[in-house]
Amino acid sequence: MTVSPQRIRALSLQLLLLGGLLITWQWASITFPSPTMPPLQAIWQAYWRLVQGDLLHTAVLPSLYRLLVGFLIAALAGSIIGLAIGCSRVLDDWSRPVLEYLRYIPAIAILPPALLILGPTDTMRIFVIAFGCIFPVLLAAIDGARRVEPTFLETARINGLGPVARVRRVVLFAAMPSLFAGLRIALGLGLIMMVISELIAADNGIGFFILRSQRLFQSAGVYAGVLMIGTIGWLLTAGLLVLEKKALHWHRGWRGLLSE
Amino acid sequence: MIQNTNGAILAVENISRTYSGAEMPILEGLTFQQNPGEFVAIVGPSGCGKTTLLRCCAALMQPDAGSVLHAGQKLSDPPAWLSIVFQDYNRSLFPWLSVKQNVGFGLSHVGKRERDERVAAALAAVRLDHAADLYPWQLSRGMQQRCALARSIVVRPKLLLLDEPFASVDAQTRFDLQDLVMEICREMSLSTLLVTHDMDEAVFMADKVVVLSTKPARVIEQVAIDIPYPRDQLTTKESSEFLRLRHQVYTLVRQQVRH
Amino acid sequence: MAAAATPHDAVRGSGAHAHIITSPDVRAGLGHRDRGGALPHMINHKIARKYARGLGGFAICIICWEVVRALHLIDPRDLPSVLVIVQTAFRELLNGSLALAALTSLLSWAPGLLIAALVGTASGISLAMFPNLEIASRPILEFLRPIPSVALIPIALLTLGVGIEMQLTMIAFASVWPIVFSVKAGVEGVDPRFHETGRILGVSKIARVRRIVIPSMLPSLATGVRTASAIALVLTITVEMLTGRPGIGRYIDEARLNGLVAEMWAAILVTGIVGYFVNGAMLTTERHLLPWSAENRDR
Repeated sequence: MTVSPQRIRALSLQLLLLGGLLITWQWASITFPSPTMPPLQAIWQAYWRLVQGDLLHTAVLPSLYRLLVGFLIAALAGSIIGLAIGCSRVLDDWSRPVLEYLRYIPAIAILPPALLILGPTDTMRIFVIAFGCIFPVLLAAIDGARRVEPTFLETARINGLGPVARVRRVVLFAAMPSLFAGLRIALGLGLIMMVISELIAADNGIGFFILRSQRLFQSAGVYAGVLMIGTIGWLLTAGLLVLEKKALHWHRGWRGLLSE
Repeated sequence: MIQNTNGAILAVENISRTYSGAEMPILEGLTFQQNPGEFVAIVGPSGCGKTTLLRCCAALMQPDAGSVLHAGQKLSDPPAWLSIVFQDYNRSLFPWLSVKQNVGFGLSHVGKRERDERVAAALAAVRLDHAADLYPWQLSRGMQQRCALARSIVVRPKLLLLDEPFASVDAQTRFDLQDLVMEICREMSLSTLLVTHDMDEAVFMADKVVVLSTKPARVIEQVAIDIPYPRDQLTTKESSEFLRLRHQVYTLVRQQVRH
Repeated sequence: MAAAATPHDAVRGSGAHAHIITSPDVRAGLGHRDRGGALPHMINHKIARKYARGLGGFAICIICWEVVRALHLIDPRDLPSVLVIVQTAFRELLNGSLALAALTSLLSWAPGLLIAALVGTASGISLAMFPNLEIASRPILEFLRPIPSVALIPIALLTLGVGIEMQLTMIAFASVWPIVFSVKAGVEGVDPRFHETGRILGVSKIARVRRIVIPSMLPSLATGVRTASAIALVLTITVEMLTGRPGIGRYIDEARLNGLVAEMWAAILVTGIVGYFVNGAMLTTERHLLPWSAENRDR
């Protein structure tokens, strides 16, 4: 792979800035020692514990599990309900005003009632994550289904497909780009809800680890925990992008053609 | 209930259609019939409602008044023996399916072996066999429209509707496609209904040309085209019979435009 | 939860709406009766039906709520009846406590959003106009952006304490991202011909920024601020819940801790209404300040 001069320049600029910031941090943490600014090695050690030490099992995996379950529930429910609403004028009329109100309730507001009703359990945390994730998926599915080219639907009708078959074989695919956009947003929201649910009422998880570190003034743990959340978010988003690329390989070529 | 329509495969009886929010009907009192095996072309001034008429003929849309009878029956959904080729192949060929999968789309109730055979035969008929595994957007416009044609004939229809199918392709490709459609329709003994704004094309391809008025559209005249098949792009279009009929159709349409 | 932004609604009709232009003579000649009176009647009927169905949707939700209560699927003490919740909401709003909480939240939300807007605009313009800066900071920004801001609340608590500065910093930090990237895209999207026109007319570079670039990117800024406003609201409430800062977040959590279940639900109801109106207010402001933008032009 040939490396162009622009790439080298770009990389060097980036390394310069990043390196500069890290060096400044390290220098500051040593020259002005304070509990809020730990040296980089301490952060790295704590981070490593999260990656493959004891904390992997007590902190990272439980959080990951809750996030994935909540996200998947929301993705499935949101897609199915959203596609159905998007395809049916009647369902849309009935559900739209309710959805237009519910979407403006910040998902965090559901935490206290969930805590009250379900207690500080995993069910509560999964529910809160799913609640936060479902709206972007739902809205994206409705939008995607409503924007399906009418000619696709007519072609399906002509070929004798009933309404359910039409949704399964045509609407689902035509709405997929929109669905993936919604899933990406939902993943970000799921991450937020995961953290919030663990900051407020948890006994394990990354959020809980961060909070406990903060209370014990172990700031290295705080920063490491945040870095771990960023890592998880980055990995999951990358995974979703790979999935999206595979599922939507036909979309780019078609879109280019549409603009003719 | 089968009504007596003298064996016509498609009987359009006095239909009217108004779009909600519009002051005026787009179709009003429109009547014509199509007999089995006939190639009917519908022409008229731009925007006079030809596509609306085609939708009603396809039973995708119901007229506000009057009736459309398919083989004597009033239907609320397109019958299995009716096929349609849309103008905009971009919005009708499914981009997530290959050519082969697109053509086989309507054959999901048929066994795999039979489906593969029929798809191969249809692709061979439109001369797209080499492109079976490509995706629609990888094909040229003419090839995409041929793919749409293959998809509509693989289900072995009795009535084929074409909505300005050659409007989006260049002139050269258009002639090739016209020849292809005529050849297929004759080989499969199809009844064909072609909606087009191209009057030359209408006279060249059809047994009968139905001329529509401007909005609200009704039938001005039905011109019988007595030129024998097979017709040739070069010699037929120079024959005196063709020129006379062409002149007749042109005059009818131009009279409408001047209103 | 950030209110997910969706593209404009697409109107789904049964077919193209034809614009019919005919001369009066033709209409008279073909003998049409005047349908003018019939059509408005038909239109009202359709709109009324849509409203009725929408209200029906709400009714169904309320019915489901009450059924869940009645069947004890959820302890009815944790799920007061809708009537009680609405009554409580009115009562708490009128006696001031809920209204005060909502107002306090808004009074943290607004300055936080404003700071984010200023910082975000400056950053966005800088990133767009200085490519070296953009290249150098790309990996850092791409790394920081996906980190949920709520995860940084403990860090903020460590470094800034529990005061209003901590809350404003958190709100601003979380809200700045959509604004930075919208502004950056807006500046990059300025038609180069505008720049050329400015140069030809002899306008200096700084003046060009002020008179061409900034007005052109205002619609993008508006969209970014609207997205950010929802995020800002989430952060405001979250910080209040986690750290006990005054506002509607604390109101909700305190109500829960004190067993005031109806008050808790009433506050959630009001929060949704506040969120709805905040979004509406942003849209209206945008429409008035930027009538020339592409989105508002056709109104």
